[in-house]
Amino acid sequence: MGSSEMRFVLPGMRICAQEDHYQSGCGTYVLHGYVYASLAGVLQIQPVMKGPISENPSQTSTQDLVSVEVHSPGEQTVIPAVGDVVTAKVMSVNPRFAKLSILCVRESVLVQPFRGLVRKEDVRATEKDRVEMYKSFRPGDVILARVLSLGEASSGYLLTTAENELGVVIARSETAGVKMVPVSWVEMQCPKTYNKEFRKIAKVIPENLADMAVDVKVLNT
Amino acid sequence: MLAHKTFLKKTRRGKILKVVREHYLRQDLHCGWKACAHCAVAAPSEASVEAPLNTPLTPPEVSPCEAVASPHLLILDTNVVLDQIDVLESGHLADVVLLQTVVQEVRHRSSPIYKRLQDLLAQSQRRFYFFVNEHHADTFVARRPGETPNDHNDRAIRRAALWYRQHLGWAVVLLTQDADNRQKAQAQGLIALSVETYVRGLVDQPELADKLAVRAEQAHDLTRPALFPEHWAPAAINRGVKNGQLLVGVFYLSRTNYTQASINVEGRDQPVLIQGLAHQNRALDGDRVAVELLPAPEWRAESEVVLEDDGQDPGDTITEDHAVSGSTSRQVQPSGKVVGIVQRKRRQYCGVLLPSPVPQATRHLFVPAEKKIPRVRIETRQVQRLTGQRIIVTIDAWPRHSRYPQGHFVRALGPIGDKATENEVLLLEHDIPHSKFSEAVLACLPELPWVITPQDESERVDCRHLDICSVDPPGCTDIDDALHCIQLPNGNFQVGVHIADVSHFIRPNTPIDLEAASRSTTVYLTDRRIDMVPGLLSSNLCSLRGGVERFAFSCVWEMDPEARIIQTKFHKSIIKSRAALTYEQAQNRIDDPSDETSVTQSLRQLMSLSKILKQRRLDQGALVLASSEVRFTVDSETADPIDVQVKQMRDTNSMVEEFMLAANISSAKRIFQEFPDCAMLRRHPAPPPSNFDPLVKAGKRQGYEIKVDSGKALADSLNAATDGKNAYFNTMLRMIATRCMMQAVYFASGTIEEPLFQHYGLACPIYTHFTSPIRRYADVIVHRLLAASIGADSTYPALLDKKSTQNIANNINYRHRMAQYASRASVNLHTHMFFRNKKRDEIGYVLFVRQNAIQVLIPKYGLEGTLYLRSDTDKSIAFHFDEDEPSQSCGDVTIRLFQKLRVQLTLDSSNVQHEKLVLRLVEPHIPGFSVEAISDDETSMEEEAPLAGSTPSSKIEANAKPTRKRSSPQNSKATPKAKKGKKS
Amino acid sequence: MAGYELLSEQNLRLDGRKADELRRIQCKLGVFGQADGSAYLEQGNTKVLAAVYGPHEIYRHGAGGASRPTLTATSNEQAVINCQYSAAVFSSGERKRRPRGDRKSQEMSMHLRQTFQAAIKTELYPRSQIDIYVEILQADGGNYCACVNAATLALIDAGIPMKDYVCACTASLMNDRPVVDINNLESTTGGPELTVAVMAKSGEIVLLEMSQRFHVDHLEKVMDLAMEGCQNIYHILDKEVRAHVSKRGSLLGWEAT
Repeated sequence: MGSSEMRFVLPGMRICAQEDHYQSGCGTYVLHGYVYASLAGVLQIQPVMKGPISENPSQTSTQDLVSVEVHSPGEQTVIPAVGDVVTAKVMSVNPRFAKLSILCVRESVLVQPFRGLVRKEDVRATEKDRVEMYKSFRPGDVILARVLSLGEASSGYLLTTAENELGVVIARSETAGVKMVPVSWVEMQCPKTYNKEFRKIAKVIPENLADMAVDVKVLNT
Repeated sequence: MLAHKTFLKKTRRGKILKVVREHYLRQDLHCGWKACAHCAVAAPSEASVEAPLNTPLTPPEVSPCEAVASPHLLILDTNVVLDQIDVLESGHLADVVLLQTVVQEVRHRSSPIYKRLQDLLAQSQRRFYFFVNEHHADTFVARRPGETPNDHNDRAIRRAALWYRQHLGWAVVLLTQDADNRQKAQAQGLIALSVETYVRGLVDQPELADKLAVRAEQAHDLTRPALFPEHWAPAAINRGVKNGQLLVGVFYLSRTNYTQASINVEGRDQPVLIQGLAHQNRALDGDRVAVELLPAPEWRAESEVVLEDDGQDPGDTITEDHAVSGSTSRQVQPSGKVVGIVQRKRRQYCGVLLPSPVPQATRHLFVPAEKKIPRVRIETRQVQRLTGQRIIVTIDAWPRHSRYPQGHFVRALGPIGDKATENEVLLLEHDIPHSKFSEAVLACLPELPWVITPQDESERVDCRHLDICSVDPPGCTDIDDALHCIQLPNGNFQVGVHIADVSHFIRPNTPIDLEAASRSTTVYLTDRRIDMVPGLLSSNLCSLRGGVERFAFSCVWEMDPEARIIQTKFHKSIIKSRAALTYEQAQNRIDDPSDETSVTQSLRQLMSLSKILKQRRLDQGALVLASSEVRFTVDSETADPIDVQVKQMRDTNSMVEEFMLAANISSAKRIFQEFPDCAMLRRHPAPPPSNFDPLVKAGKRQGYEIKVDSGKALADSLNAATDGKNAYFNTMLRMIATRCMMQAVYFASGTIEEPLFQHYGLACPIYTHFTSPIRRYADVIVHRLLAASIGADSTYPALLDKKSTQNIANNINYRHRMAQYASRASVNLHTHMFFRNKKRDEIGYVLFVRQNAIQVLIPKYGLEGTLYLRSDTDKSIAFHFDEDEPSQSCGDVTIRLFQKLRVQLTLDSSNVQHEKLVLRLVEPHIPGFSVEAISDDETSMEEEAPLAGSTPSSKIEANAKPTRKRSSPQNSKATPKAKKGKKS
Repeated sequence: MAGYELLSEQNLRLDGRKADELRRIQCKLGVFGQADGSAYLEQGNTKVLAAVYGPHEIYRHGAGGASRPTLTATSNEQAVINCQYSAAVFSSGERKRRPRGDRKSQEMSMHLRQTFQAAIKTELYPRSQIDIYVEILQADGGNYCACVNAATLALIDAGIPMKDYVCACTASLMNDRPVVDINNLESTTGGPELTVAVMAKSGEIVLLEMSQRFHVDHLEKVMDLAMEGCQNIYHILDKEVRAHVSKRGSLLGWEAT
């Protein structure tokens, strides 16, 4: 962390001129070529890290590119945004879609859940027309999904699990109610009854413990 | 800055409300001593905007009072201010600290005294300092639970006094009339005195003691028998009013009979009659009183007897014998007795001292000039000096055992009979502000030489090329209107009325504006003019004099040859009047066929248009009423009147009048359209039909039917009622009609319904005053509204607030009424001066017949006199009063209404205060009653003279502005002249 | 001259303030644990509690409520601000049952919503809702202003990004002289009341309201004074926020450096 100094800022306070190497981060906004604070908190200036979500891998000259951020005390309120990986709980399933309740966005736990939806065609990337919803999710499952769009106002965010890393991470067996373990891409097994149930399983990649790994850890404990 | 809170409880509409208000205490308030080192803030300088009222105290070096040894500051208690404001005003007390607590209580208790106190504080040489003790951190006193407001205030005053002593280290004298407060203050180590003690101790001001008010508790002497019933307690009155036992109304003493009064109760058609002094129970004219109705059998009719209180001090007795002699034939009226006074309307009264017959006495009787006010007992040691002087006295109290109220001397005006003194009396009696304009007001005047700047030129329409001229009475210096007329290529006429742009010079809320608003009108006395605005404006910068460039507010019409208005435009302009003509000059120019100048031509066009306008107006039912107006020929050296004549009217008068009326109507429409809620308008309500009873009766008597159901019918029937034998008959009828009219009033348009806007006399639905802003404040407001409507000027909050407009209107109405009374009184004064040492026989007409007198109108002097029908010498002469006729007969001579008489006029100067014109009958001759004519040929020669000047058609106007100023047409029926206050 | 003399010749108002002095302002952030952000503010005797919830998912039921957000197309791009103004039954001298959502509070709610719609960076929270609840505990004039000032504090407490502080202040005209921050007595007996809400730093006006008309000539000086009042309020709020943030920060160990 490259925070240079501890400085309180308040909403509307001008922080610096927006120059090439200063990037407006969270808690700030840009107006007329200056960076202003939008939160009351401490100012943090840190180098831009090339994270897994960074959509712009061409930015390689990171030697003096820094992000100006303001962090307020207490939890930061977040809401799901397009592209975010979210953790959600399946509320109901029907042949066309599954309704979800979004609990976490990246590493932040939401105070109040948001509604989400995974349509049949967004469950997996291959063999889309052969997807059966009941064989992918069951109510009560905890899944990782990525926000596709804001969706309809009535149903909430439109999510997708059509990536290897996305899908069910926690599921309990129908009969024993015990946490099951994945045995293949599409199956999970109950450690008590050894019954197998179908799911769209998320592959948790150990060598890249990015955000989602944290999520899994949080949920597992 | 420290915040504190006070908790108040307040009831409103029966509900208990808890009101919590903040109360901030400050450290930055100055104590008022210029050189004070303890005060953290700079002393308020006299010029500072922050505290314009506060004048720094300067420490006295020697104590001016024997009662206190060391130099000191004075701190006053509320009761001192309330009771002894005259002493404070006298100018002998200085270095006085007025506490906020005191000033607020005064404000709450008596607004006139508050106003006087404000004036006092404003005088810089007086060294009165206003100290905001309630917001000062060190002097604030929180109210204790259960403490009465009075005790709390007293405590606050003592606290402030203590603080001052400690703060400045000087002696502080607390003046209070409250013995309890005095005692407590002395217990705290303060010097506390009563005003009496202090004033008597003042070393070089012995006469100041005369100004001390008599306090009620001193005046009450329980040992003597009470003449009057006790007044009810306020709570009892409230209860009585609520349960309907009592009525509340304003007490009006009869002008002719001092033992009789009437009370107009809101919501009752008929006034309540009060007869007898005991029933009046110490109420003074104008007081709001609570009355209890007498049982119906005791109700009386109004007495027709004319009665004056003219005796010497009869001691403390009341004789009631003559009070109840109401004629039985007349309708009895609800009668009652006063049980309490809700609100006093006391002011200072002018009058003369009636020295006590006992030499060396200090108690004397004072006779007010206003007959409706009883005599007042005062105490003075300066009888020698004050005898023969007009003096001013204030009434302090009226104890139950005393025949007369008690008061104290305020100041002397000057010798009786002196014209300056009499004028002063006149002005004071009519509450006309006539002091010199203050410095603050004069500071608002533009600097001389006054020039028209290019900016002015760009903002105004340049009318300097137009042939504008003004037409006014001779000697008029405040010319506020000018006219022009040109023929347009399309055959129509462009007619312009240019009014002095007073609102350009008088900006809202400046001292000059406030002063003008307070004065409301210029008052014209016979020999003096009391300006509404300083002379620089009224006679120079605003006056549209000939040959100079002036600012004007123009109303320009396009009229077709039938004088119909096609288009109306208002704009501010710059004009250059070609000539300031008199009516006579204008008439001569019009009549002179050889005069072909453009000014004359436009005058001719104006004249012909005005005739059409007038005819149309009369066709619509505008009334032509009559009253008499006179003009004095004044001796140029002594300014005493040497001749009296009735004013002459010319066609040019009516020409100017018509255009002024038209301009006023156009302005009224315009401002009402733009500001439906706050337009300043003038209305003349239609009188209730019962008002016309005397007129109808008088007409019937002569065989004419006067229709009164509409203005038009009235106008027509008045036109029809002419008597070939008595040419003056019609005029007299119109004079009676004038007295049936209501008073025209100003009002804010949002306060009443639109149908009520009508002007009865002028027969137009909407009307205002626009054309005389130099001498009427209403016009200034109208100018401002008009200017705002055309975007030439800005508005301000009060202008757009109908409540404040209505308040202004109410004040203007009051001032106008008083100004009229004053003008009339001035004419009377001059008439009296004219008749001094003269005796004249004149022709008169019977205007009214009363029980013991007849009212006679003498057209030559335009005056009306009372001829008492009783003989001082021969008791056998008895007149018989026939009420239905009405007539008075004695022997075989009968005097009827409208009859022509010959009377002899002399001035009775036996009463120094009220010189009276005495009329004696010459013809018809009644043996033993009539007097001999002086010389027959002298009077017969003049017999027909008066009629020329008062033909009905020329008598459209009735404004009393003798000699100086053209009577304004706008006032015409609006303010008909009535000599006897018949109108409401 | 009837009634009260609102501004005396000594340039003191009825409660002892000078024309350009604000009432005493006291405020506190985070007074209310349940909400995401809250604040209590006293402006003289006007006392207000403000609570902020959100951003959270938009409630679907739009029944009742003063200014419930309607789901429009714009809600997809920015957060919806829901304001609810109410006055406690005991807030004014006369105890009066006020139905929630009467015209006056609806109007007030709407004004508040407009004000904060402009100040909150709503574009950061598409498809979500921010609730601002303000409750007048005691009313003594300048209710709207107190609500705005309190809500600003509550929003800061909630950590909702705003472009700037919003401060509001009233001003009036007495004897042609402008006076600032008028209390209930002054507003009921006095002249026109001008209410202005501004972004404190940029000076941008977010809301401007006048209770009655007065001439445009006076507007400038009244506005100037009201704006100055806003600035003074800003400094008071700012001080309180700094104290609050540093206190909260110290719990998180921020004060280490």
